Amino acid sequence: MITELGIAVINGVFIGCVYALVALGIVLIYRASGVFNFAQAEFGTTGLFAAYAGVVLWGWPYWLSFLFGLAVAMAMGLATERLVINPLRHASRVTLLVGTAGVALAAIGIQFWKSNEQPIRQMPKIVNGIAAEPFGTAVTYQHLVTLGVLIVVAAALAVFFRSPSGLALQAAQQEGTAAELVGISVRRVSMMTWGIAAVLGGLAGILSGPNLTFTAGYLTFGAGAALLPGFMAAVLGGMRSMPGAVAGAMAVGVIEQLGSLSIFGYYTGGGAMMLFFFLLIVLLVRPQGLFVRKAVAT
Amino acid sequence: MALLEVSDLVVGYDAYPVLHGIDFTVEQGELCVLLGLNGAGKTTTVSTIAGLVKTRSGQVRFDGKDLGRRSPSSRVASGISLVPEGRRVFPRLSVRQNLRLGAWTRRRHSKIVQRQFELVYDYFPQLAEREGQLAGTLSGGEQQMLAVGRALMSRPTLLLIDEASLGLSPTIARSVWEVTSRIKQDGTTVLMVEQNAGALPFADRALIMEKGTLVYTGVGDELRAVNLREAYLGA
Repeated sequence: MITELGIAVINGVFIGCVYALVALGIVLIYRASGVFNFAQAEFGTTGLFAAYAGVVLWGWPYWLSFLFGLAVAMAMGLATERLVINPLRHASRVTLLVGTAGVALAAIGIQFWKSNEQPIRQMPKIVNGIAAEPFGTAVTYQHLVTLGVLIVVAAALAVFFRSPSGLALQAAQQEGTAAELVGISVRRVSMMTWGIAAVLGGLAGILSGPNLTFTAGYLTFGAGAALLPGFMAAVLGGMRSMPGAVAGAMAVGVIEQLGSLSIFGYYTGGGAMMLFFFLLIVLLVRPQGLFVRKAVAT
Repeated sequence: MALLEVSDLVVGYDAYPVLHGIDFTVEQGELCVLLGLNGAGKTTTVSTIAGLVKTRSGQVRFDGKDLGRRSPSSRVASGISLVPEGRRVFPRLSVRQNLRLGAWTRRRHSKIVQRQFELVYDYFPQLAEREGQLAGTLSGGEQQMLAVGRALMSRPTLLLIDEASLGLSPTIARSVWEVTSRIKQDGTTVLMVEQNAGALPFADRALIMEKGTLVYTGVGDELRAVNLREAYLGA
């Protein structure tokens, strides 16, 4: 039992790292634009496809393909902001949500169209090999790289939000008109936010890709599905808290794994059911999420 | 040459005209009050000067230059700062962070920013005492002080204040007008939008608007006349 628990926690934390990268992007965009971004995971899949093309199809060095994948993800984020979010900026949040879902579906459609000849692909690992085997489960170097990247990203975001640009981003989200009135270009801030969020999605896709085979829609509903867990993590964190999103992602990853323990009879869907009940209880007890104080009146 | 020259300004929202060709000037060092009832077009006037609303025709010239279709941020950089109606502070940022963002266009000039912090805290000592507090948790009067302080952080030449007294008790409103008067004495030109005729004693000049047109301009003792309120403001 202890071994099973240990394995569940370790696997949960490493899966949680990918969820955290997706959740951070979701929270960032929600804080800046008030939008539930359903395209967040597809920034990752698109980045993964681009990195795969670089390293496998075109024979580029890994680091260059990695950066290319991030650049493509960022370009997709910026294009989404310019072509969908900005023209719809006065529309309701539901319209914006549908707009981002449309971007995700369009991306998935293009991926299917472009990957017909080889529907299932495998992205090579950054570093091959197993670093340790606690409780008999393999912790790969790829897992450790993902964890390391998450730590660096989380620290960088913490610093960023205290910087002038980070404050400008928060100001633009809280009071767009007032932000314009102090000289902040809300348009530029919005583009910066979508660019950063898309890079976070790209990291999630490119770093998790080598753990599994991937197809179109990989990070949205495929083998590496992280969109729904990412949203759960963001909601647990209160939709506004970056540390909350990371902690929420770890909780989601671990609870999902605990659902597959033998005491639940290896019931398929046990992880999803446990997650659902956990989220329900948290939201009943603390509707504002675990890491956010109640709203401040203006 | 006047600091601000508004000529034949026509502004509207969709099919609805709001300003029907107004003309006025604000001289350097003046404290001007733009008075009028609800719907007179006062907020539209200052919002247009600040660049939030586009003109249909006419001109806004500042310091001799036509502002044309310049963005709000470029107008802030050139010296125009608006305290918007309803304060619009950044509620989940601290008082100090709000003020720091007010100096966004001067953020690379740390000495100027520091000087402006000192100036704002001198005008509003309460803000210094509460600098770590979230702006959304301040009282209405304190939020108004913060909104004025934030606008001052960019070291404006022309300060536009929209309805500073709205929702404030007469005592707090009076103290905000007193500080506005001090700001003017320290060299900043002020154009203040008000519905409350209580601001008149602090003004060098008053402009009164009615249904998108300017119906009265007066200076000095004329402003203290009781019939002014009766004639134009229904008070």
